[in-house]
Amino acid sequence: MAVIIEVLGWGGKRRQYFKIDADQVSIGRGYDNDIVLSDPYISANHLRLNACGDGWVITDLDSLNGLQVIKNPSTDESLFTSGAEIKLGRTKLRLVAESYPLEDAKILHGLERDTNKLNRLSVWLPLLVAVFATQLLSVYASTLAEWEWKNAIPVIVSAQLAIFVGAIFWSLLGRLIRHEAHFLGQYSLILLASLLFTGCSWLLSTLSYNFSSALFGDMVQQLASMSILLLLLSANLTLATNLSSRARWSGCAAFVGVVVIIGSVGQMKSWGEFSPFPQYSSTLAAPALLVVEGQTSEEFLADIDPLFQQADRAALEK
Amino acid sequence: MIKNREAIAMVRMAFIFILAWSSSICAQNDIARDLFADYRSAVLQIRIIDLTSGSKSAIGSGFPINESGLIATNYHVIQLAASEPQQYRIEYLTETNKTGKLKLVDVDVINDLALVEAVDFEGQFIQLATQEPEIGMPVYALGNPLDLGLTVVPGTYNGINRASYHPRVHYTGSLNPGMSGGPTMDRQGQVVGINVATAGNQVSFLVPVSRLHTLVSDYRARGAAIENMQLHIGEQLMADQQEKFSSLFARNWQAISLGEAQVLDELAPFVKCWGGSNSSDDKAQFLSADRSCRSEDSIYMTSTFATGILEYQFIWLEADKLNSWQFYNYYERLFGDFAPGNRADEEDVTGFQCDHGFTQGASGRQSKNVFCLRAYKDYPKLYDILFLQGSVDDKESALISHFTLAGVSKENGLAFTRKFMEVSQWQ
Repeated sequence: MAVIIEVLGWGGKRRQYFKIDADQVSIGRGYDNDIVLSDPYISANHLRLNACGDGWVITDLDSLNGLQVIKNPSTDESLFTSGAEIKLGRTKLRLVAESYPLEDAKILHGLERDTNKLNRLSVWLPLLVAVFATQLLSVYASTLAEWEWKNAIPVIVSAQLAIFVGAIFWSLLGRLIRHEAHFLGQYSLILLASLLFTGCSWLLSTLSYNFSSALFGDMVQQLASMSILLLLLSANLTLATNLSSRARWSGCAAFVGVVVIIGSVGQMKSWGEFSPFPQYSSTLAAPALLVVEGQTSEEFLADIDPLFQQADRAALEK
Repeated sequence: MIKNREAIAMVRMAFIFILAWSSSICAQNDIARDLFADYRSAVLQIRIIDLTSGSKSAIGSGFPINESGLIATNYHVIQLAASEPQQYRIEYLTETNKTGKLKLVDVDVINDLALVEAVDFEGQFIQLATQEPEIGMPVYALGNPLDLGLTVVPGTYNGINRASYHPRVHYTGSLNPGMSGGPTMDRQGQVVGINVATAGNQVSFLVPVSRLHTLVSDYRARGAAIENMQLHIGEQLMADQQEKFSSLFARNWQAISLGEAQVLDELAPFVKCWGGSNSSDDKAQFLSADRSCRSEDSIYMTSTFATGILEYQFIWLEADKLNSWQFYNYYERLFGDFAPGNRADEEDVTGFQCDHGFTQGASGRQSKNVFCLRAYKDYPKLYDILFLQGSVDDKESALISHFTLAGVSKENGLAFTRKFMEVSQWQ
């Protein structure tokens, strides 16, 4: 009966396996063994397996560090059956027979199938250029002194660096968990999210400038940025891990929830706090972005009338 | 007033109280010596005693004005006791270290005066002058600067200051903390004014004695002490703003040009305007010119709360070397930085409630308007109003108009806003 010996890595994942069609298999660090392992805590001739009925009998060959049984499906302690896990030195091994059941193959996530598209130069380069351009534009628009590249470059470079570091983090995680880095994929995703965020906040602030409605207020802006964060995290995780879609979405939602809670707790301090300064909408935008027609001053004055009642009510709640 | 912006070279009054000046004129010294000798027992130190700690929390000066022990002082000296009678009591201390209890009977917050009464007061009183002295006459301020003991300060009477809505005598002499509420007397030993404030360097202010005459006759006519001080003060504030705004609305509101716009000029003699621009700055990428107007009639309510001010301001901006996006970025930053010019605390006012909207003026110009107000907690139907208007239809120039009215009624606030929007126009 052929025995398959798997060397397990982090999280019980198979790192390496040996398939040997023999009744007796010797394991150790020495080159005379059937399976040669490099763990320094393993003796030169550590143990021997002998096929016996449905399983194997293990004989410890007077090894220095001995053998530790992690799991053994067999009811007979001396017999190890398919699926048993043992540890010698610092190495975990699993013994399985060819008939050992497997999990079903997973469906490839759409994003992952398409990830090769993100890897293309024709995708990520334009994204990079677009992000670079929007950052440059925003720095340029907020510059009031004479334009100097030396002032703008550190700002843009540090923002790009942050995106780069984010992509490196996710690709390292992917490399570790799935042995797939998808660096360009992760990089493109973050670039895309940053563009989406810029576009979204610009659109919302233009809308809120024109229509002073609660619909486009701070709450909605926060909601939009949290949604973008949720989408980005979920996409990053899809590429970097094997999480099921339910686990992935709930994990992301929990993370975003924590971010929202931390943010609210930070703001809670100032809730209801008295300020001698007025908090008013100070947004102003270039005339091209103004699409609404103004009221007459009488209409405006009529609209602010309720403010007096509000203030009177507030004055009563000493 | 713009926050964090360097204060314009305006005269700021501080509530007073010290001395460190001697006249070189012998005759003046003689009179000062005589007045000091004659009235030393009639100038009292007024002390506000905290009932919990039993110690004095504030001191000022005061003087009896009749034989029955009616004593005049400043409202700001006894304000703690007026606002929280259960926490503070008022005492006097004579030159000979005699003390006695005082009862608050009437106040005039607008002119910063108060009347207190001593129960069994025996002593000298000072007569109030019935005529205003001529400008240039030597007068003598008495009081207890910094708790150092009674002091006399010779100075000159410079008449009623026309630059303030509420009449104040400009007195050339040093008033210092603790002298508040003390009398300033002429050679005959008659009170011509009540020490109230200083602007430093010999520029000091007195409440004209005529205001004290009015307060005393009001009190006599009523024949009893004020029962509800808060209500009484609220009525005084309401009546004062009503009178002030009626007189402002009756005036002809003149415009003056700023950049390409027409803005409101000095509304009345008591509103002073100052201006500036960045045109001398070679590195400036844009052009900015401003005009700020302010009336210095700040009414002292508490150490954290002042009302009665009126201020308005205009800023003209031109993009010059900036493009439209950069210009609007700067403009937005400036627009978001306005704050009221009067101080107020949580105990005094509500937080600001604001609303904003676009308007189209008669000339077709689009503006963004911000209207903010906070209500007075102790004085119903009085508000601080901050209004802000910024033009939004020109790519390369802009006009910001702002005003703050402190302690104004809804009707006057709205009427002022309406007129302000009409007069300040950019055609």
